Amino acid sequence: MRQVNQVKLGEAFIKDTAHRESHDRCLWAARMRRDNVTSAIPEWEEMRTLASDIKRHTLSRLDEYLEEFERNATANGIHVHWAADAAEHNSIVLDILSAHGVKTVTKGKSMLMDECGMREYLGEHGIEVYEADLGERIQQLDQQRPSHIVMPAIHKLRTDVAALFARTLGSDPSNDDPHYLNSVMRAHMREKYKHADAGMSGVNFAVAETGGIVVCTNEGNADISANVPPLYIASMGLEKIVPRMSDVALMVRMLSRNALGFDITQYTSHYHGPRKGQEMHIVIVDNGRSARLSSPDYREALKCIRCGACMNTCPVFRRTSGLSYDAPYMGPIGIALEPSYDLDRYARLPYSCTHCGSCGAVCPVRVPLPEIIFYWRNKVVESGNSMLIHDMEMSAAGMVLKDASNLAKAEKLGLWALRNLPQGLTESQLNPWAREHTNPEPPAQTFRQYYEKNIKPGKKQ
Amino acid sequence: MNDSPSRQASSRDSILARIREGRPQACPLPDVPMFTVPGDPSDNFRQKLLSFDGQIVSTTSRDEAISWLESHIDKQSKKVYSAISGYHGNVDHEEADADPHKASEVEICVAEGEYGVGETGSVWVTDRSLGLAACALLSTDLYLLLDHSRILPDMHRAYSTIKPGSAQYGAFFTGPSATADIEAVHITGAQGEISLTVVLY
Repeated sequence: MRQVNQVKLGEAFIKDTAHRESHDRCLWAARMRRDNVTSAIPEWEEMRTLASDIKRHTLSRLDEYLEEFERNATANGIHVHWAADAAEHNSIVLDILSAHGVKTVTKGKSMLMDECGMREYLGEHGIEVYEADLGERIQQLDQQRPSHIVMPAIHKLRTDVAALFARTLGSDPSNDDPHYLNSVMRAHMREKYKHADAGMSGVNFAVAETGGIVVCTNEGNADISANVPPLYIASMGLEKIVPRMSDVALMVRMLSRNALGFDITQYTSHYHGPRKGQEMHIVIVDNGRSARLSSPDYREALKCIRCGACMNTCPVFRRTSGLSYDAPYMGPIGIALEPSYDLDRYARLPYSCTHCGSCGAVCPVRVPLPEIIFYWRNKVVESGNSMLIHDMEMSAAGMVLKDASNLAKAEKLGLWALRNLPQGLTESQLNPWAREHTNPEPPAQTFRQYYEKNIKPGKKQ
Repeated sequence: MNDSPSRQASSRDSILARIREGRPQACPLPDVPMFTVPGDPSDNFRQKLLSFDGQIVSTTSRDEAISWLESHIDKQSKKVYSAISGYHGNVDHEEADADPHKASEVEICVAEGEYGVGETGSVWVTDRSLGLAACALLSTDLYLLLDHSRILPDMHRAYSTIKPGSAQYGAFFTGPSATADIEAVHITGAQGEISLTVVLY
């Protein structure tokens, strides 16, 4: 498969000032709101440690908790299925839908169903799936994947949505008021809810001790999808398990605060069985997760509760948007996850990182994102997938740094080049990182010259 | 069919076997302390609910709360579904139960709130207190009656008191449905109810 070139895919977005600035502003505002609400909670850092420890413990006994969950969910009247990979997930879902003669489905957000390519698969089998979350529906109508796990269409401007809705839903092309666009979506989906044969959603938490699932949303679409049709299917990655309801209390307190800076989602909904006359199914999906669990280097990524805060804070993500990662998961958590699916395809993603460490600092479950990204850089080099320019830079750096006199010469040469060569020669066009950078003003002396004159032992300061 | 029960059973077993093989060394499960939030739970509840664009009506008794509903809801011109005792709507329960798709005709829904949460301004509802949950979700205006003595201070106490596993559907409703999916502009009234009023008694 073609290697994803995030630098190239993000180029157009970076050049598009209006989109880039709006994107950056929206995400940074979410980060600021997060800081405000979390700093008002004195136990916040303790909660992060607890959440991390709970997730870590759960992973250490994941098989037992999954079995406990299955037992209790089954006792609640829920049909539980197991899928080894995306293909099996999709065929299980298709079989359930076919057995009920389902033609149309309304669906809440699920990154997992996106990961499995379920909508396209069901479409090929004549089943129409309507994304019921506004952002996700926008992306579906535009035939794009979500650009953010919590705000799927945040890379778009209102004018883009107005044009898209005019083209696909027949709305007024000159009206780009988000309130109007929301009302167009509401009216459109109402018609779908009236006739949907089945509803689907993802899962935020699955509780082993009660055999129920928790789904957190703001729009009400997942609740409608679960409560109106006679059939409800929820899909979950096997890492969504928590042992106890008291763990949910902790994580619900963190999820929306960390994601968007709000105390809670408008709907924090718990499903412990089908309502009268309904059938309910849960599909537990592996798709590479059990393999990830066995790696001490990146298993902690399985603690992720999908709040999206690492994206909101990432300086690369905010300027390039999620589509440039060309993967179901994007931003720092995407870089931590995707190479474990396909190292060749995602070999360049670990370089879309400044190593500022901000993602690790905001993660509510303390996933060591910077360390995992660094690990993947090592793996990329080991697997022979590194870029030639990086190899050249590294061997040059090795030569310079292995000998103090080499370093002293390089310092002088660097300062001379900065003073005397034109900008175009001193910035490496081969290295994408250097492209939009301006060289600094050349200093009066190198650090070594300054040190020898002023600080070196034996010299008077 | 691709997915014979036996294939799924073997997927189950092989997934569990892979997990057993790869799972990390055991580490302890910490207890979650009962953290709480400062301030009076009722005051917090009001303030948070308003911040989520919910509305509040204060009454002094359940009778007064029901009279308020009688005088403020126009049953002549609106389709009203009521799940509470002492107040009758005009949408037939049996008909709605038979096909929840019909709930999309409901304009106003009145239901019982089981608990409130001061920390977030949330109201706990279940399929017991909502009657048919679809009616609340598809209504335009949702009214939830809530006994002010049932407002819990924080989420930890809410979860330990409520026991969400005892209802098939149980949810914290926090203000009406909302979205910020277009340029992060906050909009009240997305797919679910457009307004949510808590009638406290």
